[in-house]
Amino acid sequence: MKSPLLGEFHPPNGKPHMLGSIQRIEIPMHRFSEGEEVDYVIVGVGAGGGVLLQRLARAGFHVIGFDAGPFWDTERDWVSDEKGAHNLYWNDLRITGGKHPLAFGANNCGKGVGGGTVHWASFTPRLHPSDFHIHSTDGVGVDWPISYSDLKPYYELMELELPVSGPSYYPWGDPHGYPYGPHPMGGVGDALIRGCTKLGIGVSAGGPVAILNGSRGDRPHCIYRGFCIQGCKVGAKASTLITHVPDAIENGGEIRPNCMVSRIHVGGDRRVTGVTYFDPEGRERFQKAKAVVVAGYSIETPRLLLNSACPGFERGLANSSDCVGRYLMAQAGNVVLGRFEELVRMYKAPPAHALTEEFYETDPKRGFARGFAIQTVGPLPMSFARQMMTAKGAWGWGMRSVMMDYNHWAGFGFLGEILPHAENRVQLAEEKDRLGIPIAKATFTLYDNDQKLIEYGKNKTMEVMWAAGAQEVVQESRYAHLVGAARMGSDPRSSVVDQFGRTHDIANLFICDGSIMPTQGSANPGLTIMALAARTADYLIREGNEVFTSHKPNNQKPPMRRDLSPPDTWGHGMPRI
Amino acid sequence: MSTQAEKEDTRPVDSRTGKPIGPMAQPGYYPGFNTLSQQKFWDAKTREVILDRVHNVPEVRFLSPQEARLLKAVCDHVLPQDDRDKSHKIPIVPQIDKRLYENSHDGYQYEDMPPDREAYRLGLRAIEEIAHHQHDCGFLEIGPREQDEILRSLHDGKPSAANEIWKRMPVHRFWMLLVSDCTDAYYSHPWAWDEIGFGGPAYPRAYMRLEHGEAETWEVKEKRYDWKAPENSMSGEFEPASGQLEHPISPGQGGTH
Repeated sequence: MKSPLLGEFHPPNGKPHMLGSIQRIEIPMHRFSEGEEVDYVIVGVGAGGGVLLQRLARAGFHVIGFDAGPFWDTERDWVSDEKGAHNLYWNDLRITGGKHPLAFGANNCGKGVGGGTVHWASFTPRLHPSDFHIHSTDGVGVDWPISYSDLKPYYELMELELPVSGPSYYPWGDPHGYPYGPHPMGGVGDALIRGCTKLGIGVSAGGPVAILNGSRGDRPHCIYRGFCIQGCKVGAKASTLITHVPDAIENGGEIRPNCMVSRIHVGGDRRVTGVTYFDPEGRERFQKAKAVVVAGYSIETPRLLLNSACPGFERGLANSSDCVGRYLMAQAGNVVLGRFEELVRMYKAPPAHALTEEFYETDPKRGFARGFAIQTVGPLPMSFARQMMTAKGAWGWGMRSVMMDYNHWAGFGFLGEILPHAENRVQLAEEKDRLGIPIAKATFTLYDNDQKLIEYGKNKTMEVMWAAGAQEVVQESRYAHLVGAARMGSDPRSSVVDQFGRTHDIANLFICDGSIMPTQGSANPGLTIMALAARTADYLIREGNEVFTSHKPNNQKPPMRRDLSPPDTWGHGMPRI
Repeated sequence: MSTQAEKEDTRPVDSRTGKPIGPMAQPGYYPGFNTLSQQKFWDAKTREVILDRVHNVPEVRFLSPQEARLLKAVCDHVLPQDDRDKSHKIPIVPQIDKRLYENSHDGYQYEDMPPDREAYRLGLRAIEEIAHHQHDCGFLEIGPREQDEILRSLHDGKPSAANEIWKRMPVHRFWMLLVSDCTDAYYSHPWAWDEIGFGGPAYPRAYMRLEHGEAETWEVKEKRYDWKAPENSMSGEFEPASGQLEHPISPGQGGTH
């Protein structure tokens, strides 16, 4: 090959705004004028905020989505490079403690429009029906105020909107099929299939992942370059930045990027009136709104509610239950690495491309409640070196030599359910950020069931790696994902929001992100966050102006609105099982 | 004045012949593999960021010249490059210094740790104190074996001195901070990708040969050789680091799933 196959995608004049290698935002974004009262302010345009913003804009509401980070132009801002992707993550300081402290940043937090969906690996399994009532069934955690059947139609809708690629028959939880076919295997997926097959364990190959395996509209198919968690420049991996935000803008929604919301204001009638934020130049401004939705995820959402404490709400907004910040969860995310005699080259193909949920449900014989999944991972060299540091204690010449074997290693991610505990929580630290806003401090400790589950699941994942033919198997303890810290429930004394995301304490203040999940199962949370957001949207749209005036919450389920999907996403794909 | 460290051979050795390996332009099992030669297939922004990393090595601005010299000697053991020739050594200290100067980090700080800037200052002071305690002279004046021993004691969580500092900063956390900063700097460099056979950026061109570890047409097949760490080194063997034993969960790694 003498010359490049393809040239630069972005035109030289700096316009238009590119989302992936083909999609462009051509129409100018509507700007609400200074001092104008809007219907909704959404704080955070990630998985939850992005879907909600799109729905509300399409339904004709005046809505602004604030994000603390940039409105990415994927062609100009993103790189195929591990180190260069550092700015996709929420890198502002947080303090982390407890007996088993969490890591943040690249591990679980996005900053910028699209939020964490910009750098998720995009595994999109559903929760299982059992996840919604683990207290009733297993005597652990807490039940959800809704059941799987409430969320199922929204799962189906989101699987079409993203869309999700996967097998036509997925056997676990509530069996279902996926609208787009499974992806080809990479070396890691082959190892997972080999290991599982040898042990008689069922395995799903090629999904479910929110990555296009065929072009659709102005989004091209996957090119298997392996940089999913560094941001998909191709536009094949779904993120709300490219799946929902363009439609929100098309329908008059406004994105206000690089604007950090510091406080939510409450008026005399115990209703919120708007938000204070720092604009990109660091000036403090006020945006008036008839209702506010917080969608900042499990650390920033409680931080904002706690930082908004005021007379009448001394413990922070929506915190009469003292549950804001509590019941924070992460999933156990041990990485098991195996060295093979033959080459693997695990940097090729999306890191997420095969998994098993065979161990998802409680098995009394194992001696602990709930379960785990095993998934493919594909760490790139920087991550792999850090894993060798902790898994093998590598440094110096040992590090150099094991890294020279990088292409012989394959990685599996164990994904285990950690139960909610009141003492695992987000509080305010004494330190302040560069804008003078108190930062968050997280405390995290693993309890007995969690530790037993991790020990068992880690060993099972290692067993699969051995069965795949590895000559050496090591593992690193870590976490994946975050949820909880503002949980939903029917009882205002033990939860922050109701089943639709409305705070029990303030009728026009809502939460729409992973923080409202009461438990987490062992499914990656992204799809569930989006499904919950679409359900909240249907509720808000049905309620209409009542949200802005009424003090009495309506607990009636809203009708499902399929006509609010982004164009050309509904009606495609597999017949539903 | 040449130091004792410079008099001893610190190159890795060929396991069969026992002869030292290098210095050479490109160690590793992929001779001739050159990711930078593929840069015309990369997108413009990626090319800009990676070429900047290669060609514009930042000045040391945060650390004092003395601190930078000491950190360089430490990094020469934490991520040794004695098999690389002078013009192909990957800069480590300038990258760590840049991070500290810009005060950028991974988005969290352990509650039992000081901020990274202070952690480095404390850690370097502790290493000097240990050297004085054990050898009555500074870390820069002792031999490579003795230097390795001190670093190994941090890895093991058993430093022989500087207890006042380790009370303010757990030794295993400092060790992981130091090692991961070194590996970040080294393995984010395209020369390291060539060494380990990592294909590097692949947009918009794509990878096509996904299975069985097969090489793309522009990648190179593996050619292994047997080598081992130099005699006077203590980092060739794998032993769990101390934090692993006391703290079963040691997060701090980048996202993988």
